Parts: sequence; C-alpha cells; structure tokens
Amino acid sequence: MAEKEKPSALSTPEKPRPNQNKAREDAPLLREDEVPVKAPKPAELCPAEADRERRGTGPAVPPPRERRKYKMSETPPAPAPPPRLKDYEPILGRADIDELRFLARQLRGKTVKMVNSTAVGGGVAEILNRLIPLMNELEVATKWEVITGGNDFFEVTKGFHNALHGGEYHVSKEVLDIFMMYNEQNRQRMEFVEDLFVIHDPQPAGLIRSKRDRGRWIWRCHIDLSNPHPEVWNFLKPMIEQYDAAVFSSPSFTRQLPIPQYLFYPCIDPLSEKNKEIDEAYVQKVCDDFGVDRSRPILTQISRYDRLKDPVGVIEAYKLAKKYVDCQLVLAGGGASDDPEGAVVLAEVMEAAGDDQDIIILNLPPWSALEINALQRASTIVIQKSLREGFGLTVTEALWKGKPVIAGAVGGIPSQVIHKLTGILVHSVEGCAYQIRYLLTHPEFAQYLGKNGHEHVKENFLLTTNVKRWLVLFEIMLGMTRTLKVT
Amino acid sequence: MAATQTLPRPVRWARSPFYFNSSAQLIRIGRQRATTLGEFADMLQSCPDDAIFQHTFQTLRDHHYLREGFTNDFGHWVFSACNEVGLAEQLAAVDVREFTSIKALRGALTKTVQDYLVKNPRSRERAAFEPFYFCASDTVVIPTPFVARNMAEFADGLRQISLHSIHYHFIDARLRLKLNSNDFSLWLEEELDLGALGDRVNHIDIYTSTLEDVRQRILKILQPVL
Repeated sequence: MAEKEKPSALSTPEKPRPNQNKAREDAPLLREDEVPVKAPKPAELCPAEADRERRGTGPAVPPPRERRKYKMSETPPAPAPPPRLKDYEPILGRADIDELRFLARQLRGKTVKMVNSTAVGGGVAEILNRLIPLMNELEVATKWEVITGGNDFFEVTKGFHNALHGGEYHVSKEVLDIFMMYNEQNRQRMEFVEDLFVIHDPQPAGLIRSKRDRGRWIWRCHIDLSNPHPEVWNFLKPMIEQYDAAVFSSPSFTRQLPIPQYLFYPCIDPLSEKNKEIDEAYVQKVCDDFGVDRSRPILTQISRYDRLKDPVGVIEAYKLAKKYVDCQLVLAGGGASDDPEGAVVLAEVMEAAGDDQDIIILNLPPWSALEINALQRASTIVIQKSLREGFGLTVTEALWKGKPVIAGAVGGIPSQVIHKLTGILVHSVEGCAYQIRYLLTHPEFAQYLGKNGHEHVKENFLLTTNVKRWLVLFEIMLGMTRTLKVT
Repeated sequence: MAATQTLPRPVRWARSPFYFNSSAQLIRIGRQRATTLGEFADMLQSCPDDAIFQHTFQTLRDHHYLREGFTNDFGHWVFSACNEVGLAEQLAAVDVREFTSIKALRGALTKTVQDYLVKNPRSRERAAFEPFYFCASDTVVIPTPFVARNMAEFADGLRQISLHSIHYHFIDARLRLKLNSNDFSLWLEEELDLGALGDRVNHIDIYTSTLEDVRQRILKILQPVL
C-alpha cells in the first residue's frame, strides 16, 4: 500500500455496533477521496501482532470486517491566526480582561525581548506563538527572537536537556565550548536594547553575558531541575545566577538559587484547536470514524506511546474494571512513527489489548489537535496514569473540558488534580480500576469533579492567567509597582 | 378602585464613594521545603509572613470555586501527603476570619501542630509522601472603573467586578483593616449607616461558599434596600 493510503489509525477489529451502522447510513461523513477499507493487513499491524498472525498462534483474531478509514491530513494544517483579547471575553468575563488592560497600561512604552531555541514545534514555541500577539495587542512591545546554531549545538543542548532531567551525559570540554561558542555567536548577532529580556530554557542561557546596567533579565525554565546531572547544572548555574529572577513551572522543579524564583504554571489556550469548543456533529464524526461507540462509557488516555505513561497499566485497569462495568478504552497518542521506542511500546500495548474489541488504539500524527479535542469531549472519564510526568498538560486539557480525570500522583499532576475535589489521584493499577468503577457508577460525583476541574483550570492554568503573571512580574522587575505588604 | 401607586424610593447617598479595586498575585517560590511534620512545624514558625498569607488567605482565591474540602494549603498537605487526618481537620478548622494579623494566625497554626506532635511524637519524623514547598505571594492592587455613591451603583459594581475583586475586598481586607470585617460591610456601616446589613454581609461563610456564591448572597442581602 502506498504511504499516503496507509491508515493513520490502528485499532483492534471491532464488532459492528448499531449506532455506528446508523451513522454510516445516515451521514455522508467521508470526503470523496476516502473509501471504506478493510481492517489492517498483517503488514500494517505492529510487529508482535503480525508475527502472531503469521504463526497462527495467540488469541483468535475475528475475521476482518469492513470499517471506515479515518483519513488524517498528511501535513500539518496552516496555523490559524492567533486570537484577539476580546475573543477571550466570553470565557473569562469583561472584568478579567479589563484587569489585563490596566496592568498593561502601566507598561506602555516598555519593550520586551523573548528568546528561545525554536520557532516551530515544541511546547515553548507553541506558548510564545500565542503569548507574543496578546502582549503586543496590550501595547507591551514584545519581540520574539530564536537563536541559531549548527547540528553540533543542538546535539549538545539535547544532551543537556536530558541530563537536566536526570539522564546520563558525558560532559567534555568540547561540548561546553560548543555551547558557549554558539551562545557567543548569537550574542554578537542580536541587539539587546529592550527593557526586559526573557530567556527560555538552557539553550540561550549564555546570552546573559550581554547584561548591562539597563534592562532586567528573567530566566524562564520549562524543565524539571529537581534531579539534574551535577556537571551540567554546575556549568549552567553561574550563568543563571546572573539573572534578576527565574521562573519555574512547579515548586518541585526548582534549585536553590540566590535570585527570586517565581511560579508560572504551564497553561493551555482555551481557543486553540485542541481546546476550543467544537460542534457536537464533529465529535460524533470522529467517534464514528475511529469506531468509538458513544452509547457506552468511554475511557480515554491521550499520551504518546511511552512506558512512563503506563499505557499497559491503563489496559490492565480497564480489564479489571470491565468485570463489573461496561466500558470501552481509547488509547490515543503519537510517537510510534518517528520514535523506535514508541513503536516498541505500541507493540506492547497491542499485545496487552489482545483481541478485546472494545480497546481502540490510535497512533495519531502530531497535527491531530482537533481529533484529540473531539475524543476528549466524547470521553466519560479521562485517564492519565503516568508513572512519571512533567506537568501533564493533557490533564489540564481534560479538566478544561469538564471531564472527570483519574491520574497518577506524579510530577505536576497533583497541582491540577486535587484528590476527590478536582479529580482522582491513583497510585496503582488496582486503584485506577476501582476509581473507574466508582465514577462510572456515581455519575453525579463524576460531574462534580469535572465542574470543579474546569473552574480550577480557568483560575490557574489558562494562557490569559500567564499573561497576567508576566505583566505583574515585569512591573515588579522594573520597580513600577508596590506590592501589598501583609503583616 | 384606584391602582396603588408605588413611590420611588429616595436615593440614599453615601458620605464617601466605594472604589472597587482588584488585585493580581504572583507566587514566589520560597527556599523552605518540609519533608516531615517536624520540619513543617519548625518552618511554620520561621517562614516569612507572606508565606502564611499565601497558604491561607490567598489560596482561598486560587480555589474560590470549592464549597467544601479545602480551606488552606497546610491542612491539605497534612491530609494528602502526611495522612494525619486528625491534624488536617484541626488545621482546616483554623478560620482566617478570626485573625487580623499574620502573627496571630501563625501562632494559632503553630500551636495546633505543636500540640499534635506532643501527643503524637512518632508523627514528627515520618516522611511525607511529597514535600511542602513554602511559597509567598506578591500582590499588586488593580483599580477598576467601578465607583459606587449609592446602593444601586454598589449593586451594579458588585455584579460586574471580577471574583478577584471580591476576594480583595471581602477576604484580604481583614488584614488591611485589622478588623474582623471587610470593605463592603465597613462601607455599608460607615458611609450609609446600614450597620445591620453590613453585619449580615460579614456573616457570609467563605468556607462553604464559592466567591460567586458570596457575590450572589451579598446582592440578595442588599435587595430589600435597592
């Protein structure tokens, strides 16, 4: 099969369900170039499953049946224009937007430069793409610059990134020289005439050498520094100490530093493709095309195929719960196409799912934001049973959609999921299974969690909250405001 | 029979207007982190005033949508990370409305933990599931366009301000005023001679109400005089 014709979504064969058949008869949901296809052939299955088919062993696989192919775009869609401040008014209310305008008024005439290491891809670029236009609309002139470097530089910074997360790394004089050389090149290339400089993550940290009397410098660290590689951290630390302040995503991600450290939670944009309100008809279409039956409870975990997200544990929890309650499980994520380890984990997941027709496993490309949005909205419960986690923005997304969330008590998740108030924290497969059963049989409690979760995100984890945090921090850094003193 | 004519109620003007403000806060991560109840008890005595403020007064703002189960960060950590349910209940029962200074509030919190550890010495060194990170808040006051010179304008402003503004006037105000009251009640009493109404407003329970509930309850209390 030609590459473009391959199904982008893998799923276990499903039994026909009345409501799906109805949808197929009633609605012209496919484009002209889409045709129903058979279930994946052995060559398209993950290696373990293909091998099982070849050997004729393992659980009996139901005969292939006709199913709809969900056709994903093969290239990322063009980005939508960024929203304007007034677009957030229906979500937040006029008063909150006016408060942003007031804070920004104080900063009119001040200039800000934000620097990171990539213009596209990655969470930081995603945030800056939304943040910078809002800052400029508020008339706080904010410029975004990206550092440049050769492959050798980005290999070093990737190594640093993993090492700062606690991974192994061999620190040689050569890698330190490469890091400093490219920082120096960028420093010579850039101008530093603004009032405020926000340097994101370690890659451009060396730009601090341009710090002069004028201008305040802030280091925004998006990564977890709780257990860094000592040599890498000792190399970076003298640079970080020259900044006027540092910003972290969680108190647990910080190091002892002689400069003030502030807490900015990671945030989601409620108007992004992944989080905006979408038509019910579209949600139905995505479910129909992926073979998800909306007449029965749907458990969903959205995560790349990574053992630290414990997808196999989620399947085990689902199987335990299913002894008592009817439900389906959707595992949707990416990373299996471009990451060899992801492909191995996906194979393990397929193996664990066996021939259960109610487990739907989807390997989605990175530009599946709308589909993920639809799957989250269709879910009865969203699970994020991670064994280790950064902040866990998929939890934030689910909470924003008012879904009851069951999540592992790791990383930044407990900041979002307050046990039994905004969601449920679990520590084991068995605990997860019990909570699935409990929430499915106590829908009013599930609804209570979802409502609280939505409000928790609205107050603490939206892009606009971070706009406010930046404005306040800028005023404090420039000595333009007096903070309230409490005694 | 002639229809009863309702005469318009005369407008009662305040001696001084009420200026609605709001606030924005930034959380500063402190250097202290407790990994056991013993460390927590020590740090509770030595942490800065604005850390006590953040984990009691300000956290009510961050969790303003909850009506139950959450009153301050200290009680929540003792419950969820230390599994000391009895102490968690006692800390959760410390009501910020009864304190007009951080010093007094700190004293009550510290005494509660110390007393518990005297009775339960084995709890002192037991490792918590996750550390308690002492944070503090930098709060900036934000003026709003709303000004009230009479009850109608007051109610109108109340309907339009943000929930942060309600928190600023109704909860934070106690530390500014050094009174067991709030900005709304004080204005009603001092500028409009409506002390009884002010009293009723002051008795709204912030621990069993969301901030939106508080707004609606104040409006309901004011309704008869609008």
